[in-house]
Amino acid sequence: MALLDDKDRARTFYRCLSRVYDRVNPVFWNEDMRDRCVELLEVVEGDRVVDVGCGTGFATEALLEVTSEVEAVDQSPQQLEMARRKQGLDDVDFVLGDAENLPYRDGVFDCAWSSGSIEYWPEPVEGLREMRRVVRPEGRALVVGPRQPSNRLLARLADSVMLFYTREEASEMFREAGWTDVEHHVMGSNWVDDDALVTIARNPG
Amino acid sequence: MRESLNDILCCPVCKGDLELEITEQEGDDVLEGTLHCGECDETYEITDGIPDLLPPEMQD
Repeated sequence: MALLDDKDRARTFYRCLSRVYDRVNPVFWNEDMRDRCVELLEVVEGDRVVDVGCGTGFATEALLEVTSEVEAVDQSPQQLEMARRKQGLDDVDFVLGDAENLPYRDGVFDCAWSSGSIEYWPEPVEGLREMRRVVRPEGRALVVGPRQPSNRLLARLADSVMLFYTREEASEMFREAGWTDVEHHVMGSNWVDDDALVTIARNPG
Repeated sequence: MRESLNDILCCPVCKGDLELEITEQEGDDVLEGTLHCGECDETYEITDGIPDLLPPEMQD
């Protein structure tokens, strides 16, 4: 597993990527997968959820369909600008912030969500620990992990800017960050045959 | 950002509470202002409704 060695690389990458993001991303991560993940997290109306690394707000939109209390944070002003322009997202309080240094108080959320983001965190365990800090005891987290391209060239290219992990490595990271009841779901789309690892865990408090 | 958002925000570095100072507002929407951390004396800008709560070393 490769680690991004500095956050500037992730930021530069996203600055360029935000222009084409919503057109490219659906190949790897689509509405169907997103909606299945929302069901897995079992969010109900009134739950306060944080979308960590919300990007252009793709998951924020889906979370808003199940609860009106959604907060969203991302480190890229360009991505946030696109998110807030989307219909239905104009009421969301977007915050510029870093997953590994979340600007939210302890235990204020019922659930934490993160999709398409962890692969760019230089210290993923730190980010997971921060997610646990802001989630109340017995609250849950769902993280959609990276999907490694099966094409060898693409895989090598992706591995140079992203983090990839196996199911075992994911379990280890979540446990190290203090989460329990860690479970994984493998999810694919019809477009490509590479599966994404979706991890759900509980905050023991 | 809504004024009430500050109830759940904190300093990204020391996790201390933030003091909100508003310079431009529309209803309960804060458009321009600052969030100040008394614990580490850091000031975070709110620009065009979005608070920049990135740790200082990550800010542009």
